Amino acid sequence: MLKITNLHANVAGKEILKGLNLEMQGGEIHAIMGPNGAGKSTLGNVLAGREGYEVTQGEVIFNGKNLLELEPEERACEGVFLAFQYPVEIPGVNNTYFLRAALNAQRKYRGEEELDSVGFLRLVREKLKVLHIGDELLHRAVNEGFSGGEKKRNEIFQMAVLEPMLAILDETDSGLDIDALKTVAEGVNRLRSPDRAMIVITHYQRLLDFIVPDKVHVLADGRLVATGGAELALKLEEQGYAWLEDGGIGTLDETGATQAGTP
Amino acid sequence: MNDFSAQLATELQPASGTGPDWLNALRQAAAEQFRSHGLPTRKDEAWKYTGLGVLTQNEIRLSVPADTIIAPAASPAVARPVVAVEQQVTLLNGRILNRSENLPSGVALLALDEALDTEVDGLQALLESLPSAKKKTLSSTGFSALNTATLENGVVIRVASGVDGGRVLLSWSTSVEKAACLFNSRVCLILEPGAKLELLEQFETPRDNKNTSNIVVQAALGEGAALRHVRLQQESETTGLITRTEVSQQAGSDYRYYGFDFGGGLVRHDLHCMLLGSAAKASLNGAYLLDGNRHVDNHARVDHMAPDGFSEQYFRGVAGGSGKAVFNTAVYVHPGADGTEAKQSNANILLSKRAEIDTKPELEIYADEVVASHGATVGQLDEQAVFYLRSRGLNQEQARQILTTAFCRSVSDRLADPQLAEAISERMMDVMPQLD
Repeated sequence: MLKITNLHANVAGKEILKGLNLEMQGGEIHAIMGPNGAGKSTLGNVLAGREGYEVTQGEVIFNGKNLLELEPEERACEGVFLAFQYPVEIPGVNNTYFLRAALNAQRKYRGEEELDSVGFLRLVREKLKVLHIGDELLHRAVNEGFSGGEKKRNEIFQMAVLEPMLAILDETDSGLDIDALKTVAEGVNRLRSPDRAMIVITHYQRLLDFIVPDKVHVLADGRLVATGGAELALKLEEQGYAWLEDGGIGTLDETGATQAGTP
Repeated sequence: MNDFSAQLATELQPASGTGPDWLNALRQAAAEQFRSHGLPTRKDEAWKYTGLGVLTQNEIRLSVPADTIIAPAASPAVARPVVAVEQQVTLLNGRILNRSENLPSGVALLALDEALDTEVDGLQALLESLPSAKKKTLSSTGFSALNTATLENGVVIRVASGVDGGRVLLSWSTSVEKAACLFNSRVCLILEPGAKLELLEQFETPRDNKNTSNIVVQAALGEGAALRHVRLQQESETTGLITRTEVSQQAGSDYRYYGFDFGGGLVRHDLHCMLLGSAAKASLNGAYLLDGNRHVDNHARVDHMAPDGFSEQYFRGVAGGSGKAVFNTAVYVHPGADGTEAKQSNANILLSKRAEIDTKPELEIYADEVVASHGATVGQLDEQAVFYLRSRGLNQEQARQILTTAFCRSVSDRLADPQLAEAISERMMDVMPQLD
């Protein structure tokens, strides 16, 4: 579904991603962990097409398409969804109105019939039920005055309605207390599906207690330097990232982990 | 005085002969004032950003009475009301063309000359109260002097004590004549204590109209009276519209203004509230949306003269194309107006490199225990918000439309009248400038 090859990207003239490779199949959840400044959020923003993130080398093939050639809205319509680390407040734009406009833009792109307000509301109610969240978010302006937890929940709610094929959760756990974290993680788990791949970007392991990934990658200095199973995350929690400077994955006492690039 | 003003001064013949002596004295004094001061120029601080080029290019002539007599059949199609109204007055070239008759009891709606004949209570005092050029701070005085000197057309509405006058629509337009004309008109609103009124004004002119209208609205709000004043203005790029709204407010009165300006060749509105009695409220709200070569200049000013008053100014502007907006908001808290609360907020979005917005907030406080805040910003569309919307599948154009509409809707929503807010919001979406 997704194949990232030798991805290099600059932000403000500085190289942040330095040859990143990643391959994912539908239904998989991959966690990307790493120290601050490693390029985790850059990866999410590059995939979503944010301005100011300049790809200098490499390619990203998503369902057979060259993702990097598409505008941000085309990527969304092709099924890419970025759950923002800092969801943007948009005063005066009703959350329901916004989401319906977005869904209909995507449906139109795919040649599907647009939903009227009745049909949309039915869909929304269904998704709220699946996520076990109330409808109070619907009547408010997009993210305006939302608490940290509400903002992240709203991202997950949007994801539920837009049903992306590839969801990138950019530090969805940041700034959340444990209860809010659980709520958000439960939402994500309910949206796991064989046709949906997810990239979970996080600094801390604790989110992965609730969203158990198929694979864990360590991103350091713009490259994936280690890949392992869910247990790699626990090891990282225990031992931190100091081993990166101490000579690589070999120094990490972890049998499941392998140096990136080796099978 | 420049050549243009001098030419108008020679044309100016005060509308003498009709009406009482005091009125003729008023007209004569105003004519004298105009002959000595003329129209404002860019040298006047309040007209620094707005020139009178449209008037001179159109070779505007002062309308003479003969020009203004139009057979109703020859009149242009009147603008469709933005919402359904029961009481409507259609004015063409500053004169009443027709008006509805079904007025609630306690409400008098008269042509200015009728009102003068019947000596409507309070009318003389109101007409004589229009501040003159002797007060330097007032900016539209050249036009006001012209308006007073030619005073004979207009509308007078008087609402009796405690009566709710409902909603009255004034629909303004002008007809295309051989020469481009300047039409003067006066609206006088007298609200007795506890009276209520909603005045809706619509200004619309078709293309190729080179006229200029010069309209003064004077409102006297008695104790506890409430006036809602909603304006929707859309002139052509060759049309001029000079308006001045003067509101005097007694204790506990409540004036709410909601202006929606889509601009024109030269559009200027001076809006001035005098809070004379204690605990009076003035809420001034507006949105201006400009595209093409449209222009609008709003000057809003509140004078707090008495204690415990409240005023707010909330204006939002969007300019695209080569649109040009000027916004000046001023609050003066005079000695003795203790306990005043005054808020000013103005934010603007530029959608094009050629568009221009000049904004200037002014605040002067000479009283105690005053709470005041002000802010003015000019910026582009919020790039973060644009990306957020695009990342959900909306294209750049849809994102711009959603964001600018929301920005302006924050003004129409303040109407607290969903039906009217929706109707105005639709009009705003029709004229919303594009990204460029």
